[in-house]
Amino acid sequence: MTTCTVTRGFFVLRHCGVLAVTGCTTCGRPLCAAHVADAGMCPECAVAAGYGTHPSRTPITTAAHRRRAFYSGSSHHYQDTTWYSSFDDYDREAFRPDSAADPDYGVDEDSGLVDS
Amino acid sequence: MFWKKTRAAIARFHPLHQTLVWQHTLAASMPVDDWAQLVHSLSGHETVVRRRRWALPPRVMGVLVPLVQTLGEDVAPGGPLTVEADLRGENPPEKAGQHYQLPAHGRIRKLTEWFVVDPWLRIGAELDDGSRLEVRVVDRIRHRKIHKIGASGKRKVAHKTRRTQVLRCRRVLPRGVAGTRPTQPPPAWIRVAVKDGRRRTITATVKSDRIPQGGDQVDLILTTLVELFRWTPPTTARRIG
Ligand SMILES: [Zn+2]
Ligand SMILES: [Zn+2]
Repeated sequence: MTTCTVTRGFFVLRHCGVLAVTGCTTCGRPLCAAHVADAGMCPECAVAAGYGTHPSRTPITTAAHRRRAFYSGSSHHYQDTTWYSSFDDYDREAFRPDSAADPDYGVDEDSGLVDS
Repeated sequence: MFWKKTRAAIARFHPLHQTLVWQHTLAASMPVDDWAQLVHSLSGHETVVRRRRWALPPRVMGVLVPLVQTLGEDVAPGGPLTVEADLRGENPPEKAGQHYQLPAHGRIRKLTEWFVVDPWLRIGAELDDGSRLEVRVVDRIRHRKIHKIGASGKRKVAHKTRRTQVLRCRRVLPRGVAGTRPTQPPPAWIRVAVKDGRRRTITATVKSDRIPQGGDQVDLILTTLVELFRWTPPTTARRIG
């Protein structure tokens, strides 16, 4: 049984965990019905693709964009790279494709919150 | 009657939206889904209400809505998010303290000082990790009325004000979670206090020498909240029970 690995929350991060119905059209991570964002992508990929400020963006993309923009903007107040990078680690933690998967089914290295 | 249609449209708004229009206050404790209904109603305000007298206080869309949406992400399922906002501003007489005289000398004949204290925002929430969050914002305005004699011998009255703000953010950690003091200290402008009891409480306080406006206010609150969550990094913090 595959569950949705989208990261929810703003300060208190948790993985969605609801039964997945599809995969992100870009990074392939499993998605539940509620976390299919713009163009069939996961919210993180939708933000990376520029949907974060698009007028017709979905609310879950808006939330991901808000979180990413805040973490990137606030990181210069804190000299705490460990904490800021822990969000990337957490986001990828539940999204580790096993070796049997399609070789193209790789981790999106650009899905970090701190990277622009 | 003029504005009759607008008045009727306001009467169809969410009841808490109407209170914000007529009283400039908000007090509610409800689940995130209910807040979403209120936010939806508020978002339609400007297209319906053109009359400036009935505009929402700027802090509604500028501060309350972004904070409700952001912190709402972390609220425990079905758990309440509590907001008490008094957006009437600094003018209501009950916010002003006693006037008192300061020693006057030289050309200053009389110096009167008083403070206005405006505790305009309180937010409380039970978060999904079992911790409890509180945010409190208080504006403080110092007034000085100075009666003096000018160089020409003419009497003058000057009124000076100085605005400051105290922001206090507090997180009561989940039962059984102590967290770890972050290796890197917070920015110098954030004061942190830790209190150990049955549950550990971390308080971050910021005193600003001005009152931040709009987006700056939201950024200040969220940036201060970061300090409270640095104690439990996402990859190590696990929910208890
Ligand atoms: Zn994706
Ligand atoms: Zn999901």
